[in-house]
Amino acid sequence: MMELKAKGSTSIKALLVEDIEVCRLVLSTILLRLHCEVTLAMNGKEAVDLFLEGKKFDIVLFDKNMPIMTGPEAIVKIRAMGETDVKMVGVSADDHAMEAFMSVGADLFVPKPMRMEALGPIIQEVINKKKNDMV
Amino acid sequence: MGHLDEQFRQVEDLQDEASPNFVEEVVVVFFKDSGRLISNLEQALEKYPRDFNRWDAYMQQLKGSCSSIGASRMKNECMSFRDNCGQRSVEGCMGSLQKLKREHAILRQKLESYFQLLRQVGPAGAATRPAM
Repeated sequence: MMELKAKGSTSIKALLVEDIEVCRLVLSTILLRLHCEVTLAMNGKEAVDLFLEGKKFDIVLFDKNMPIMTGPEAIVKIRAMGETDVKMVGVSADDHAMEAFMSVGADLFVPKPMRMEALGPIIQEVINKKKNDMV
Repeated sequence: MGHLDEQFRQVEDLQDEASPNFVEEVVVVFFKDSGRLISNLEQALEKYPRDFNRWDAYMQQLKGSCSSIGASRMKNECMSFRDNCGQRSVEGCMGSLQKLKREHAILRQKLESYFQLLRQVGPAGAATRPAM
Protein backbone atom coordinates (compact mmCIF):
# COMPACT_ATOMS: atom_id res chain seq x y z
CA MET A 1 0.00 0.00 0.00
CA MET A 2 1.38 3.38 -0.91
CA GLU A 3 0.12 6.89 -0.34
CA LEU A 4 0.82 9.77 -2.70
CA LYS A 5 -0.07 13.39 -2.18
CA ALA A 6 -0.32 16.17 -4.74
CA LYS A 7 1.09 19.56 -3.86
CA GLY A 8 -1.75 21.69 -2.51
CA SER A 9 -4.08 18.68 -2.52
CA THR A 10 -7.77 18.90 -1.74
CA SER A 11 -9.36 16.44 0.59
CA ILE A 12 -10.49 14.02 -2.15
CA LYS A 13 -9.11 10.68 -1.11
CA ALA A 14 -8.72 8.28 -4.01
CA LEU A 15 -7.86 4.59 -3.77
CA LEU A 16 -6.44 3.05 -6.94
CA VAL A 17 -6.59 -0.73 -7.09
CA GLU A 18 -4.42 -1.97 -9.95
CA ASP A 19 -1.90 -4.79 -10.24
CA ILE A 20 -0.07 -3.70 -13.42
CA GLU A 21 2.64 -1.19 -12.56
CA VAL A 22 2.52 0.95 -15.72
CA CYS A 23 -1.25 1.30 -15.41
CA ARG A 24 -0.83 2.28 -11.76
CA LEU A 25 1.81 4.85 -12.67
CA VAL A 26 -0.23 6.56 -15.38
CA LEU A 27 -3.55 6.54 -13.56
CA SER A 28 -2.11 7.64 -10.21
CA THR A 29 -0.38 10.53 -11.97
CA ILE A 30 -3.67 11.61 -13.53
CA LEU A 31 -5.29 11.49 -10.08
CA LEU A 32 -2.47 13.56 -8.58
CA ARG A 33 -2.82 16.12 -11.37
CA LEU A 34 -6.48 16.36 -10.37
CA HIS A 35 -5.29 17.17 -6.85
CA CYS A 36 -6.35 13.89 -5.25
CA GLU A 37 -4.65 12.25 -2.31
CA VAL A 38 -3.86 8.83 -3.79
CA THR A 39 -3.51 5.50 -2.06
CA LEU A 40 -2.40 2.48 -4.10
CA ALA A 41 -3.43 -1.13 -3.64
CA MET A 42 -2.13 -4.02 -5.76
CA ASN A 43 -5.25 -6.16 -5.70
CA GLY A 44 -8.80 -6.39 -4.43
CA LYS A 45 -7.82 -7.96 -1.12
CA GLU A 46 -5.48 -5.07 -0.26
CA ALA A 47 -8.35 -2.70 -1.00
CA VAL A 48 -10.74 -4.63 1.24
CA ASP A 49 -8.12 -4.72 4.00
CA LEU A 50 -7.80 -0.94 3.88
CA PHE A 51 -11.53 -0.57 4.47
CA LEU A 52 -11.37 -3.17 7.27
CA GLU A 53 -8.66 -1.04 8.89
CA GLY A 54 -11.10 1.83 8.92
CA LYS A 55 -9.52 3.83 6.10
CA LYS A 56 -11.92 6.20 4.35
CA PHE A 57 -11.98 7.07 0.67
CA ASP A 58 -14.14 9.30 -1.49
CA ILE A 59 -13.53 7.36 -4.67
CA VAL A 60 -12.10 3.94 -5.50
CA LEU A 61 -10.94 2.93 -8.96
CA PHE A 62 -10.68 -0.81 -9.58
CA ASP A 63 -9.03 -2.77 -12.31
CA LYS A 64 -11.01 -5.91 -13.10
CA ASN A 65 -8.65 -8.88 -13.27
CA MET A 66 -6.12 -8.97 -10.46
CA PRO A 67 -4.46 -11.77 -8.50
CA ILE A 68 -5.92 -12.90 -5.15
CA MET A 69 -9.12 -10.85 -5.50
CA THR A 70 -10.66 -9.19 -8.58
CA GLY A 71 -12.15 -5.71 -8.71
CA PRO A 72 -15.78 -6.89 -8.79
CA GLU A 73 -15.15 -9.31 -5.90
CA ALA A 74 -13.68 -6.46 -3.84
CA ILE A 75 -16.65 -4.21 -4.60
CA VAL A 76 -19.04 -6.88 -3.32
CA LYS A 77 -17.13 -7.16 -0.05
CA ILE A 78 -16.70 -3.41 0.45
CA ARG A 79 -20.35 -2.65 -0.26
CA ALA A 80 -21.30 -5.44 2.18
CA MET A 81 -19.42 -3.51 4.87
CA GLY A 82 -21.95 -0.73 4.45
CA GLU A 83 -19.71 1.49 2.34
CA THR A 84 -22.52 2.71 0.11
CA ASP A 85 -21.38 6.34 -0.22
CA VAL A 86 -17.97 5.69 -1.71
CA LYS A 87 -17.91 6.19 -5.46
CA MET A 88 -16.76 2.90 -6.99
CA VAL A 89 -15.41 3.08 -10.54
CA GLY A 90 -14.52 0.05 -12.63
CA VAL A 91 -11.64 0.56 -15.07
CA SER A 92 -10.68 -2.08 -17.61
CA ALA A 93 -9.54 -2.75 -21.16
CA ASP A 94 -11.69 -5.90 -21.11
CA ASP A 95 -14.66 -5.59 -23.46
CA HIS A 96 -16.94 -7.51 -21.07
CA ALA A 97 -15.93 -5.69 -17.91
CA MET A 98 -18.78 -3.20 -17.74
CA GLU A 99 -21.42 -5.81 -16.97
CA ALA A 100 -19.14 -7.46 -14.39
CA PHE A 101 -18.69 -4.18 -12.53
CA MET A 102 -22.17 -2.72 -12.77
CA SER A 103 -23.85 -5.96 -11.71
CA VAL A 104 -22.01 -5.88 -8.36
CA GLY A 105 -22.72 -2.27 -7.46
CA ALA A 106 -20.09 -0.14 -9.16
CA ASP A 107 -21.30 3.41 -9.78
CA LEU A 108 -19.50 3.82 -13.03
CA PHE A 109 -17.40 1.99 -15.59
CA VAL A 110 -14.69 3.69 -17.64
CA PRO A 111 -12.78 1.80 -20.32
CA LYS A 112 -8.99 1.78 -20.34
CA PRO A 113 -7.02 3.77 -21.12
CA MET A 114 -8.47 6.23 -18.63
CA ARG A 115 -7.89 9.84 -19.72
CA MET A 116 -7.72 13.12 -17.86
CA GLU A 117 -10.76 14.45 -19.71
CA ALA A 118 -12.79 11.40 -18.62
CA LEU A 119 -11.62 11.37 -15.00
CA GLY A 120 -11.78 15.14 -14.44
CA PRO A 121 -15.60 15.41 -14.44
CA ILE A 122 -15.87 12.30 -12.26
CA ILE A 123 -13.57 13.83 -9.63
CA GLN A 124 -15.44 17.13 -9.86
CA GLU A 125 -18.69 15.31 -9.19
CA VAL A 126 -17.15 13.75 -6.08
CA ILE A 127 -15.94 17.17 -4.94
CA ASN A 128 -19.39 18.69 -5.48
CA LYS A 129 -21.09 15.88 -3.57
CA LYS A 130 -18.66 16.24 -0.69
CA LYS A 131 -19.29 19.99 -0.52
CA ASN A 132 -23.07 19.45 -0.57
CA ASP A 133 -22.82 16.83 2.18
CA MET A 134 -20.93 19.32 4.35
CA VAL A 135 -23.62 22.01 4.06
CA MET B 1 -1.08 2.41 -38.39
CA GLY B 2 1.71 3.86 -36.26
CA HIS B 3 3.20 2.08 -33.28
CA LEU B 4 1.76 4.60 -30.84
CA ASP B 5 -1.69 6.14 -30.68
CA GLU B 6 -3.19 9.23 -29.04
CA GLN B 7 -2.75 7.73 -25.57
CA PHE B 8 1.02 8.29 -25.81
CA ARG B 9 0.33 11.99 -26.29
CA GLN B 10 -1.80 11.86 -23.12
CA VAL B 11 1.16 10.39 -21.25
CA GLU B 12 3.41 13.13 -22.63
CA ASP B 13 0.92 15.74 -21.43
CA LEU B 14 1.36 14.41 -17.89
CA GLN B 15 5.04 15.34 -17.95
CA ASP B 16 5.85 18.64 -16.33
CA GLU B 17 8.69 20.51 -14.65
CA ALA B 18 8.16 18.55 -11.42
CA SER B 19 8.41 15.25 -13.36
CA PRO B 20 10.69 16.07 -16.32
CA ASN B 21 11.43 12.41 -17.12
CA PHE B 22 7.93 11.07 -16.58
CA VAL B 23 7.43 9.75 -20.11
CA GLU B 24 10.70 7.87 -20.11
CA GLU B 25 9.90 6.48 -16.65
CA VAL B 26 6.53 5.23 -17.91
CA VAL B 27 8.17 3.61 -20.92
CA VAL B 28 10.79 1.89 -18.75
CA VAL B 29 8.06 0.53 -16.48
CA PHE B 30 6.00 -0.55 -19.49
CA PHE B 31 8.82 -2.63 -20.93
CA LYS B 32 9.52 -4.15 -17.53
CA ASP B 33 5.82 -5.06 -17.16
CA SER B 34 5.33 -6.25 -20.71
CA GLY B 35 8.52 -8.31 -20.72
CA ARG B 36 7.36 -10.06 -17.57
CA LEU B 37 3.83 -10.59 -18.88
CA ILE B 38 5.09 -12.04 -22.18
CA SER B 39 7.41 -14.34 -20.25
CA ASN B 40 4.53 -15.47 -17.99
CA LEU B 41 2.43 -16.17 -21.06
CA GLU B 42 5.15 -18.19 -22.73
CA GLN B 43 5.51 -20.30 -19.60
CA ALA B 44 1.75 -20.79 -19.49
CA LEU B 45 1.68 -21.88 -23.14
CA GLU B 46 4.15 -24.60 -22.29
CA LYS B 47 2.87 -25.60 -18.87
CA TYR B 48 -0.87 -25.45 -19.61
CA PRO B 49 -1.44 -26.73 -23.15
CA ARG B 50 -4.73 -25.69 -24.73
CA ASP B 51 -5.76 -23.84 -21.59
CA PHE B 52 -7.21 -20.99 -23.65
CA ASN B 53 -8.95 -19.35 -20.70
CA ARG B 54 -5.67 -19.05 -18.82
CA TRP B 55 -3.80 -17.84 -21.91
CA ASP B 56 -6.54 -15.28 -22.54
CA ALA B 57 -6.31 -14.00 -18.96
CA TYR B 58 -2.57 -13.40 -19.31
CA MET B 59 -3.06 -11.62 -22.62
CA GLN B 60 -5.81 -9.46 -21.14
CA GLN B 61 -3.27 -8.10 -18.65
CA LEU B 62 -0.82 -7.32 -21.43
CA LYS B 63 -3.55 -5.61 -23.43
CA GLY B 64 -4.30 -3.33 -20.49
CA SER B 65 -0.62 -2.51 -20.15
CA CYS B 66 -0.34 -1.67 -23.88
CA SER B 67 -3.44 0.52 -23.68
CA SER B 68 -1.91 2.61 -20.91
CA ILE B 69 0.90 3.92 -23.09
CA GLY B 70 -0.83 3.77 -26.46
CA ALA B 71 1.15 0.83 -27.89
CA SER B 72 -1.46 0.35 -30.62
CA ARG B 73 0.16 -2.31 -32.78
CA MET B 74 0.98 -4.40 -29.75
CA LYS B 75 -2.57 -3.97 -28.50
CA ASN B 76 -3.92 -5.18 -31.83
CA GLU B 77 -1.78 -8.29 -31.62
CA CYS B 78 -3.08 -8.87 -28.09
CA MET B 79 -6.62 -8.72 -29.47
CA SER B 80 -5.68 -11.08 -32.29
CA PHE B 81 -4.28 -13.55 -29.77
CA ARG B 82 -7.49 -13.35 -27.72
CA ASP B 83 -9.56 -13.95 -30.86
CA ASN B 84 -7.48 -17.05 -31.52
CA CYS B 85 -8.14 -18.17 -27.93
CA GLY B 86 -11.84 -17.75 -28.61
CA GLN B 87 -11.49 -19.91 -31.70
CA ARG B 88 -9.37 -22.41 -29.73
CA SER B 89 -6.61 -22.21 -32.31
CA VAL B 90 -3.19 -23.08 -30.89
CA GLU B 91 -1.51 -22.29 -34.18
CA GLY B 92 -3.29 -18.94 -34.35
CA CYS B 93 -2.25 -18.09 -30.79
CA MET B 94 1.38 -18.99 -31.46
CA GLY B 95 1.38 -16.88 -34.62
CA SER B 96 -0.12 -13.89 -32.80
CA LEU B 97 2.40 -14.22 -30.00
CA GLN B 98 5.31 -14.17 -32.43
CA LYS B 99 3.95 -11.03 -34.08
CA LEU B 100 3.41 -9.48 -30.67
CA LYS B 101 6.99 -10.15 -29.65
CA ARG B 102 8.19 -8.62 -32.92
CA GLU B 103 6.13 -5.48 -32.35
CA HIS B 104 7.41 -5.35 -28.76
CA ALA B 105 11.02 -5.40 -29.96
CA ILE B 106 10.38 -2.82 -32.70
CA LEU B 107 8.63 -0.48 -30.28
CA ARG B 108 11.44 -0.77 -27.76
CA GLN B 109 13.98 0.08 -30.44
CA LYS B 110 11.97 3.05 -31.70
CA LEU B 111 11.40 4.46 -28.24
CA GLU B 112 15.06 4.04 -27.30
CA SER B 113 15.99 6.02 -30.42
CA TYR B 114 13.34 8.61 -29.63
CA PHE B 115 14.63 9.25 -26.12
CA GLN B 116 18.19 9.32 -27.37
CA LEU B 117 17.18 11.96 -29.89
CA LEU B 118 15.33 13.92 -27.19
CA ARG B 119 18.43 13.97 -25.04
CA GLN B 120 20.39 15.36 -27.97
CA VAL B 121 17.96 18.05 -29.06
CA GLY B 122 16.60 18.96 -25.62
CA PRO B 123 12.99 19.79 -24.60
CA ALA B 124 12.42 22.25 -27.50
CA GLY B 125 12.84 19.44 -29.98
CA ALA B 126 10.12 17.40 -28.30
CA ALA B 127 7.45 19.64 -29.82
CA THR B 128 8.08 18.04 -33.20
CA ARG B 129 8.07 14.38 -32.20
CA PRO B 130 8.74 12.15 -35.20
CA ALA B 131 5.82 9.94 -36.14
CA MET B 132 6.11 6.46 -34.70
